[in-house]
Amino acid sequence: MRLTSLGVVRGLVGYFAGMLIGMAVVVISRLVLGMSAWDQEAVWVGGIIFSIIGFLLGVGAMSDWLKWTRGVQTPLRHGPPVNQPAWTRYFGVDYNHKVIGIQYGVTAFMLLVVGGSFALIFRSELADSGITFLQPGTYNTVLSMHGWVALAAILLGIAGIANYLVPLMIGAEDMAFPRLNAFAYWLNVPAIVTLLISMLFGWDSGWTAYPPLSLRGPVGYQMVFWAIFGIGLSSILGSLNLIVTMLLMRPKGMTLFRMPILCWAILATSIIQLTATQLIGQAFLMLSFERTLGMPLFNPIYNAAGENIGGQPILFQHLFWFYSHPAVYVFVLPGLGIISELLPVFSRKPLFGYRWVALSSLAIALVGFLVWGHHMFTSGYQPYLRVVFMISTLLVAVPTGVKFFSWLGTLWGGRLTFQTPMLFTLGAISVFLIGGLSGPILATAATDLFLHDTYFIVGHFHATIFGGFVFPFFAAIYYWYPKITGRMYNETMGKLHFWLMTPGFWLMSLAQMTAGTMGMRRRIADYDPALGVENVQLLVTIAGFVIAFSILIMIYNLFTSAEVGVLAGNNPWRSRSPEWQIPSPAPEHSYARPITVVGEPYDYGLAGSTYIATAGAGDD
Amino acid sequence: MLKLPQSSTDRKHFMIVGALVVVTTIILGFFLLAILPIKAQASVQAEPIRWLFQLHLWLIAFLFSLVVVFMLYSLLVFRRRKGDTSEGEHFEGNTVLEIVWTVVPLVLVVIFSVIGLRTLQQATSGGDDVQVEAVGFQWSWTFNYPNGVTSAEMVLPVDKPALISLRSNDVIHSFWVAEWGPKQDLVPGMTTTLHITPSKVGEFSLACAELCGLSHWSMLAKIRVVPEDEYTAWMDEKLAAQNLQTASR
Amino acid sequence: MAAVTTSAQAAALHPHDAHAGHDHYAAQLRMNRLGLWLFFISEGFLFGGLLTVRFFLWGADTRPELDQTIGLIVTSVLLISSVSMRLAETAMERGNRKAFSVFILLTALFGLIFLGGVMVFEWGLFPSLYPAHLTPWGDKYGAVVFAMTGMHALHVISGIIFILIVWNLARKGNFSQERHWGVESCAIYWHYVDVVWIFFYPALYLIGNAVHVTH
Ligand code: HEM
Ligand SMILES: [Cu+2]
Ligand SMILES: [Cu+2]
Repeated sequence: MRLTSLGVVRGLVGYFAGMLIGMAVVVISRLVLGMSAWDQEAVWVGGIIFSIIGFLLGVGAMSDWLKWTRGVQTPLRHGPPVNQPAWTRYFGVDYNHKVIGIQYGVTAFMLLVVGGSFALIFRSELADSGITFLQPGTYNTVLSMHGWVALAAILLGIAGIANYLVPLMIGAEDMAFPRLNAFAYWLNVPAIVTLLISMLFGWDSGWTAYPPLSLRGPVGYQMVFWAIFGIGLSSILGSLNLIVTMLLMRPKGMTLFRMPILCWAILATSIIQLTATQLIGQAFLMLSFERTLGMPLFNPIYNAAGENIGGQPILFQHLFWFYSHPAVYVFVLPGLGIISELLPVFSRKPLFGYRWVALSSLAIALVGFLVWGHHMFTSGYQPYLRVVFMISTLLVAVPTGVKFFSWLGTLWGGRLTFQTPMLFTLGAISVFLIGGLSGPILATAATDLFLHDTYFIVGHFHATIFGGFVFPFFAAIYYWYPKITGRMYNETMGKLHFWLMTPGFWLMSLAQMTAGTMGMRRRIADYDPALGVENVQLLVTIAGFVIAFSILIMIYNLFTSAEVGVLAGNNPWRSRSPEWQIPSPAPEHSYARPITVVGEPYDYGLAGSTYIATAGAGDD
Repeated sequence: MLKLPQSSTDRKHFMIVGALVVVTTIILGFFLLAILPIKAQASVQAEPIRWLFQLHLWLIAFLFSLVVVFMLYSLLVFRRRKGDTSEGEHFEGNTVLEIVWTVVPLVLVVIFSVIGLRTLQQATSGGDDVQVEAVGFQWSWTFNYPNGVTSAEMVLPVDKPALISLRSNDVIHSFWVAEWGPKQDLVPGMTTTLHITPSKVGEFSLACAELCGLSHWSMLAKIRVVPEDEYTAWMDEKLAAQNLQTASR
Repeated sequence: MAAVTTSAQAAALHPHDAHAGHDHYAAQLRMNRLGLWLFFISEGFLFGGLLTVRFFLWGADTRPELDQTIGLIVTSVLLISSVSMRLAETAMERGNRKAFSVFILLTALFGLIFLGGVMVFEWGLFPSLYPAHLTPWGDKYGAVVFAMTGMHALHVISGIIFILIVWNLARKGNFSQERHWGVESCAIYWHYVDVVWIFFYPALYLIGNAVHVTH
């Protein structure tokens, strides 16, 4: 087997070839236009754009479309590649949603590890006061990278879950647009490569990239802008695909209110991603243009009379948070959906208040569009806006509360068992509770004027993101592992992972909040020992390492169990959900026959009821 | 040993849980007050912030206890016993309950909006007996007084309402003295303001709270709050020194 | 503009279930249509964002000095191009290939004229032809004009490319009276880009008073 038969290798070749071509195009155009040949910003922008296109061409994510433009019809390729080992399909363009789901999931996991390692690096620096091994410039770059790499990991992780599960859960053959699906995945890869390359040049604004700072720093910023633009475009296309799939490909009998609850969460998430993501893409594009062409959109410039005839920095914050607040719900809604999905299975009881839970996802998503200004209480915008955003933000607590209480209602009176997925689900609830409850204290503007940009914020959003994404993601991995591999993970190691990570995380987020109230600012390379936060900082660092260690256990577990785990059978959890009614590992064509829905999804404990029926041979 | 009822709707469950919630709320409330010692306490504007923060902590203690006690209790009481193969009780929801736990939080939201509005007003208003302009730049501060005095440290008289105008010409910074409570960004292209009435004499540290590049972490300045006569003396001294300087130029 | 080709592309049948025949085509068409409209909703946020930027930076009472005659002309051309696009689509529905080719190429031509107008007169890319005074780097007026017209022009360009592809495919006989999702999506896309301009035109040319910025 030749190396170039792997799509990803061809893609990388295309990436670097594209980069050279793009740079050359810019240099030549500049010469033709009579400008100096070299302008670092312009040359890099050209290089990046072409390298992303080069990757996509190389990997073959657009081949079918390009053929279509020439009138050549291409069949939708199915099944493992011919004349090549089966594993190679994961390294190239494949149209099966389960393959794409795994591609997303594994990429996400790798990014989680990389992003986490960045955190460990700068957490070690912060373990005591005084600058020891990270110079402030490097510190800022590593910190900023941590932010975006981790967010990329989350976005891809969610896409992985959605891609793998949604078609399975609604009994569909595949996603509505399989080629678009593959394209959306592969778009991420060059974007991530670009993001990682940015590190060589450095950038130091944190993930928020507020101008004017982000307009001044090194050229690494350009890479970040375009990388995030790429990942954003991928989110948009992916969510479009998911919405169409869920709205139009459900089987007979599956009304919206009979979908597995995770689908509701993904639907709400996709609505946000489809729309709000445009705003961050646009904002980052504008930053790139302001850097490259000097378009004064965000940076003020003054005329002779001293009037500002240029841009306004606050405008960026509005555009940025109009995406980035709803985005935090993108991060957590699928996770909350997983919690709602798993609790009934391990409680052997219906999900309490299915409709309320389903609609609360939509409510959170919609209210989430109205609250972005709570990130800007100190920004200097019109003071009355503080009041508006304070009230709208507090309102989010209502649908969030509905979810918590419904989970309690689901547990109450059940027959609970505590395998690893259930443990992580319960851990998720406890952690998300810390995160959620620390929300309103930031929403009342007065308290936020103190807490904003302190470590309290760091504690708040790590608790929400771990509770809303990381814990449920791990629960999901353990839970669907048998469906993916056909084997069971090792339960002892799973439990060990849980019992290290959960207390570790509680400790970490509480200590972060403590540091914040004691006056520790966020995003600083070093702190004054006089603050008295040294012990607390040390605790945070130790807890961080414990969490990292526990994740290593998980990785080991997942790798070894794929070989030696006991065979799981089709339905080890006795779930009613469609994906568990088919063989494990899930076959190439998931459903040999179309399914129909004949009951409610979560009627555990109702004798004689089933959720789905497989259509008889006669009515194909 | 307490004998627990079998049915999940038995009153007894709820009485036990209710009692536990009360107890844990109290314990947790004091615990939170201890581990979250909010530093804002040296200005008039800090007081409402501190008060509201601690009010929140009690609410958090209650809600946290409510959820966690219910959860832990369920885990204990409704766990599957050895050999039990039955399914859970079949109930799909309860509309009255759902409405209750939608409306009660809604009422809480209204209450906190009103409280939040009032505290916000208190935390952001004040007089302008003393006026200072603070200019932030990468990565340091200067302070200009209306009489032309320029200084690298900020000196304010205690108990006098001060209006601090904030200006930056490079990137966004943020003016924050933790002991004083509120912070405010310095935004290029506009002037922002902050009302502070220092209520405690002492030395504090002004720190930039918005990431502003390489040395953001060390963008600090000394703040001194002094009795009024000391303030006047400092000002006179500064004026004299500055006049000498201009004269000698 | 990958996403654009995408929506059209998805028209290709899955040969796997080609035996499903007409039903499958109808189902796929439904999905394609929904997908395209979702894409428009998404893009609506992009253009809405640009309008927000315009009102944030200029306010409702100022706008740059732009040549009103040119603005009116290019806007009319674009509106007319929507009519010719409609005619092309109708021709395809009636099976009149000749008329289809003429009208769709006419649409592309109108698009090019619009683009030329923007580039020569608004952007001043060819100062020898027309000395425009706005530059992207001069002030907030130039910056926003270039941001808005630039993003819109990008869509017009991709629309023209789309038209040429569809025209070529039609020439090769790839569409039929009943099955021409490629044509349909191209037409809807074109109308959409027109509608966006209907919002942009007043925002750039009509709302507020023209100000002359002193530098
Ligand atoms: C009850 C619900 C919530 C409320 C009321 C709330 C409120 C807030 C407020 C007011 C801020 C701004 C703090 C500041 O920067 O000074 C904030 C920050 C943040 N919140 Fe939440 N939040 C809630 C839930 C969530 C959830 C579910 C997430 C999901 C991940 C989340 C993620 C974040 C993040 C990432 C930030 C920090 C942004 C930054 O400054 O970089 N929050 N939250
Ligand atoms: Cu937010
Ligand atoms: Cu700073």
